[in-house]
Amino acid sequence: MTAPQSAPRATRATAPRTLAEELRGRGDEAVAALLRARPDLLNPVPTDLTQLSARLSSRASVLRALERLDRFTLQVAEALAAAPEGASETTVRNLLAGPARVKPHPGAEPVDRAAVTAALPAALARLREQALLWGPDSALRLVLAVRETLAPSALNPGRTGLGPTFAEATAGMSPARLQQLLAGTGLPPTPDPVTAVTALTALLGDRKRLGALLDQAPPAAHGLLERLVWGPPTGTVPDAARQVTAEEARSPVEWLLARGLLLPSSPGSVVLPRELALHLRGGRTHRTVDPAPPAVAPVVGRDPDTADRTAAGQAATAVRTVEELLESWSLTPPPTLRAGGLGVRDLKRAAALLEGTEGDAAFWIELAHTAGLLAPDGEVDEVWAPTPAYDAWLQQDTAERWTLLARTWLAATRVGRLTGTPDGKGRPRAALGPELDRTLAPSVRRAVLTRLAELPPGTAAGPDALLPALRWHRPLRGGPTGPDGRDLRDQLTGWTLHEAELLGVTGRGALAAPARALLDGADPAPVLAPLLPEPLDHVILQPDLTAIAPGPLLTPLAQALALAADIESKGGATVYRFTPDSVRRALDAGRTAADLQAFLAQHSRTPVPQPLAYLIDDVARRHGVLRVGAASSYLRCDDPRLLDEVLADRRAAELRLRLLAPTVLAAQAGPETLLAVLRTMGYAPAAESAEGDVVITRPDSRRTPPRTPPQPVPDGPARPDDALLAAAVRAIRAGDRAATAVRKDPVAGPASRASAAVPRTAAADTLAALQTAVLLGERTWIGYINAEGLSSQRVIDPVKVEGGFVTAYDHLSDEVRTFALHRITGVAEVEE
Amino acid sequence: MDGPLIVQSDKTLLLEIDHPLAAECRRVIAPFAELERAPEHVHTYRVTPLGLWNARAAGHDAEQVVDALVKYSRYPVPHALLVDVADTMARYGRLQLQKHPVHGLVLTTTDRPVLEEVLRSKKIAPLVGSRVDPDTVLVHPSERGQIKQVLLKLGWPAEDHAGYVDGEAHPIDLREDGWQLRPYQRHAVDGFWHGGSGVVVLPCGAGKTLVGAAAMAEAKSTTLILVTNTVSARQWKHELVKRTSLTEDEIGEYSGTRKEIRPVTIATYQVMTTKRKGVYAHLELFDARNWGLVVYDEVHLLPAPVFKFTADLQARRRLGLTATLVREDGREGDVFSLIGPKRFDAPWKEIEAQGYIAPADCCEVRVTLTDSERLAYATAEPEEKYRFCSTTATKRRVVERLVKKHEGDQTLVIGQYIDQLDELGEVLDAPVIKGETSNAQREKLFEAFRSKEIGVLVVSKVANFSIDLPEATVAIQVSGTFGSRQEEAQRLGRVLRPKADGHAAHFYSVVARDTVDQDFAAHRQRFLAEQGYAYRIVDADDL
Repeated sequence: MTAPQSAPRATRATAPRTLAEELRGRGDEAVAALLRARPDLLNPVPTDLTQLSARLSSRASVLRALERLDRFTLQVAEALAAAPEGASETTVRNLLAGPARVKPHPGAEPVDRAAVTAALPAALARLREQALLWGPDSALRLVLAVRETLAPSALNPGRTGLGPTFAEATAGMSPARLQQLLAGTGLPPTPDPVTAVTALTALLGDRKRLGALLDQAPPAAHGLLERLVWGPPTGTVPDAARQVTAEEARSPVEWLLARGLLLPSSPGSVVLPRELALHLRGGRTHRTVDPAPPAVAPVVGRDPDTADRTAAGQAATAVRTVEELLESWSLTPPPTLRAGGLGVRDLKRAAALLEGTEGDAAFWIELAHTAGLLAPDGEVDEVWAPTPAYDAWLQQDTAERWTLLARTWLAATRVGRLTGTPDGKGRPRAALGPELDRTLAPSVRRAVLTRLAELPPGTAAGPDALLPALRWHRPLRGGPTGPDGRDLRDQLTGWTLHEAELLGVTGRGALAAPARALLDGADPAPVLAPLLPEPLDHVILQPDLTAIAPGPLLTPLAQALALAADIESKGGATVYRFTPDSVRRALDAGRTAADLQAFLAQHSRTPVPQPLAYLIDDVARRHGVLRVGAASSYLRCDDPRLLDEVLADRRAAELRLRLLAPTVLAAQAGPETLLAVLRTMGYAPAAESAEGDVVITRPDSRRTPPRTPPQPVPDGPARPDDALLAAAVRAIRAGDRAATAVRKDPVAGPASRASAAVPRTAAADTLAALQTAVLLGERTWIGYINAEGLSSQRVIDPVKVEGGFVTAYDHLSDEVRTFALHRITGVAEVEE
Repeated sequence: MDGPLIVQSDKTLLLEIDHPLAAECRRVIAPFAELERAPEHVHTYRVTPLGLWNARAAGHDAEQVVDALVKYSRYPVPHALLVDVADTMARYGRLQLQKHPVHGLVLTTTDRPVLEEVLRSKKIAPLVGSRVDPDTVLVHPSERGQIKQVLLKLGWPAEDHAGYVDGEAHPIDLREDGWQLRPYQRHAVDGFWHGGSGVVVLPCGAGKTLVGAAAMAEAKSTTLILVTNTVSARQWKHELVKRTSLTEDEIGEYSGTRKEIRPVTIATYQVMTTKRKGVYAHLELFDARNWGLVVYDEVHLLPAPVFKFTADLQARRRLGLTATLVREDGREGDVFSLIGPKRFDAPWKEIEAQGYIAPADCCEVRVTLTDSERLAYATAEPEEKYRFCSTTATKRRVVERLVKKHEGDQTLVIGQYIDQLDELGEVLDAPVIKGETSNAQREKLFEAFRSKEIGVLVVSKVANFSIDLPEATVAIQVSGTFGSRQEEAQRLGRVLRPKADGHAAHFYSVVARDTVDQDFAAHRQRFLAEQGYAYRIVDADDL
């Protein structure tokens, strides 16, 4: 890994001329950091640094990187984009905070200069690390696609609200008009348009001279400028392109137009040139500059202990809720809809079962599904049923079970809350159905919890307190805006806080200790376990036939009680009520009255109340007086002696006959077998109609075949691990050495043209060459394979390289068209 | 940790009463939680929207409620419950009934969408007039009760700022010579007077009449008192003359026999609901005077027509008195919205502990029917089954044994079926009071019982309520109105007046084993069991 570093160091003496060159000069760590920050560049691993630099300059990759910048870093990039190429760090600082001795515009928010100065190097370093910016501090250069994206123009002033530069706004203006503007500002005429523009730009950049010129302006003109100064920089005026001279100027607009202080941007509108806007703003690109994230406020401080305990209680409830839902669905699994998902009626039923809203029910259901505990069983009449993983989950202790739920939730892209909202076709979305994935969800969840984790323990903050900070950290990741004007992030933030509370990730709004472990990637189970209440081994029996378990019970006790009594109320405690039915249920399950009495006496803190003892004895006294059994067939005969004979016959043993009454025998064998055996024994039995058969059915717990849980939809490529990064960096270095050693000139020269062959260059070189051609406006010769597979050569004037396509003027077909990059075999220069 | 309270996710609160903090906790949660059950060890309270709104009306806010729950709870309080408490309490007071200087009674809002929502309801539309401004709508004064009731059902309870009419003033004072209002009675009166209108729940024998009298002394205005029957009306009159500055002439009786309207008028429910030619002939009594206070005795028995009329009386102060706010028709909610919320409630056992009602020994006597009775029972028509098993001859013999056991004690035998009572009267050689017994005869018999001339009295359900028989120490119940919980409580109440010598009362319920009688008895006992009365079960053979 040392060899690749030594080569670039040799060229350090002179400043790098390209991004690739600068990357070559960066250490392996820096390249690894770049790839970690922008993992999309790793797919596939670039062959060398030239290819890497071409790929990271592509518009799609740049947009993705910009989306993940915080607000200040983005503002730095925007300031750089508004400044001329090669601006210094000082220039950027002045653009953000305003030059030291210039009076700021009254409309600008005050800026903490020291904070900007302090935060700026880190912001530049971030941009540099992500290779959005390169070059020394004295001449900072944005990657072209970044500049194109962020540079303000008349149509797209961006967040700065600035317009195009004077030079950009006057492109295409007639030389005569430029001379008119020179005259209007009182400058001497120049020989050609280029020098005219230079002279005028110089005037706009000169604070003193421009100030003097503006002092002559009529007051109304000042008012006009004032309206455009913070953007949008365009205003509509009739006939903006009129060639009015300073002498003819009548209106304030005309006064400004005649001096080039407003420039026509289209026939009906004028634009304020960027230089003038900056002058009026007191040199600042942004009205407000936020060098640091806003503090999360207001917050409520609570006792961290209370928060942890509340969260732990809720965690136990969460585990119980999922168990309750899946236990219920074990016996009566709901069918899947034809379009996938769960019917509205089943959702309502689940909400009633869980004693919550439908939104909450959808959340639990989605969570169980994402955790792999619930899946469609794949049968013909498909139903949602617990998976075998659920059985394994049940065996774990509460803390471990919670860990699975919490981990799943943190990474899940499925958003149960969206259930019931209209989909693209206006139909309500079904729980467990399609279209519930939101790639933004996990990042918002993590961001919210991270912000909460930054607060002191026990501190709670609501969505309104958190959102400003969330917006600062990722200003461009808000997601689509809904009809109520709130974007997806706003909604997700509210949901995240609600769900975190439901799940026991937070307690009364404050992040709990187990969740901190979860965020740090540690195992939260050991943190949670001691916070959960200790299971009890006793209950309180009351004379009104209730039993109260003042806390969670040991499992065997809970099961025994649930058998002998009905559960009336759940929560921290459990209230059981003994009824004749419930006692009968226990007796049916094989317990005896004495057994029950002893069990209650053993586990009760109080003596068994007399009414309860009476209830058990009363039910027991009548229990079992009537007997019910199952038989597959019967044999009846008016002559008891004949039945005795059959019963005594050894050949009838296999029938397992039993005398129920002197004239009735019950058989475990079916009627057919009974008939056949009796006939072999020499009797002549007659069959009776099938009535009287007892068929026992027991509901079977449904399970799906083994299922893998659904994976979160990735929001871009996965986070690369260190091993992958190291391998990638090594591969890139190796490729780079090969490329730079063998071929100095990446673009095929005239030599290959002489052979009249189709140009052939490596894909990365092609991309780099085309990008250069766009930048310099050069004509290029390409080899191209069309959709039929025929190769051809074309001469094109590339206009734009974006999204895998080149937009260019094609000299062959004499029209502007797009070429797929992957069909271009190579690029070569065109000899003029 | 280790608080006395366990907060359940179904909004019930379990209070462990042996805990040292239990009494303190009970005081804190009482304003917003309803006591549902009070058996021996763990009391159950329920947090209801109504309770939370009453707490708001009494000046408590959500933060206080949440803090109380969190502070006393043994386990973490479910978050959903805390959110629900805050949400529910925030609903109160968004709508307000107010007196407008120009328009009279109006409904105003601090939250316009809420007003829009309720105005869209079909049930509200006929009760309101035109819109005065976006936040105000006219309400017909006669619909004040109705609209409050409907708004409560819609979940947007209105805060009533429209106040009360003072009514025609009339001097009434308590004459506390040789006796004093008990502390809980004073609390009850204060609670009622502070709240304006409402219901006071006190055990039978705990002196509800005095609460009424004290409320009248606060109001100092003409008062209409509605009671269950004439005997009860006379007792009210007697008590008022004895305990207040009122004289015989100031108190009128408005019943089937007499129609007096005086500054204080006592009317029976029966006469109020008597229909003549299809109309309620006596409802104008409500308008006969400018009443400043209306007292409803045994409010759980309030008949439906009186309900309807009470809705129109919202500008007058209303006091409801009852021992058991369990209506078998489930209309407790209507009582609350029309008379007013529960202003005071005390567990029976607590009053007993203070010595204001006699301790009672409740006993269920299980009678095993003879084989022939069982067979007859098994073949009886379903609707006749209860009557059959509760009136068997075996039972009668057990009653005889019980009466003999308590010879010398003042004993009441209470039953449902007249034939059975007549038969028992004959066997026990005791007078029988039933529906057809004239009021004069009743009074005479009660007087004889009080003065211990008679030791045993057989009574039908006419004696369920408001009969003051301080010396009764034994009650034997032979049959009842199926599974009525409040009847059981009322009957127990007949023997709960504190005894001169302080000894315990005995309450026997004679039940036929393995019949519906036993099922009904179990249901009847639920209220008292939940109030902490532990029934002993005894076999008739073991007596």
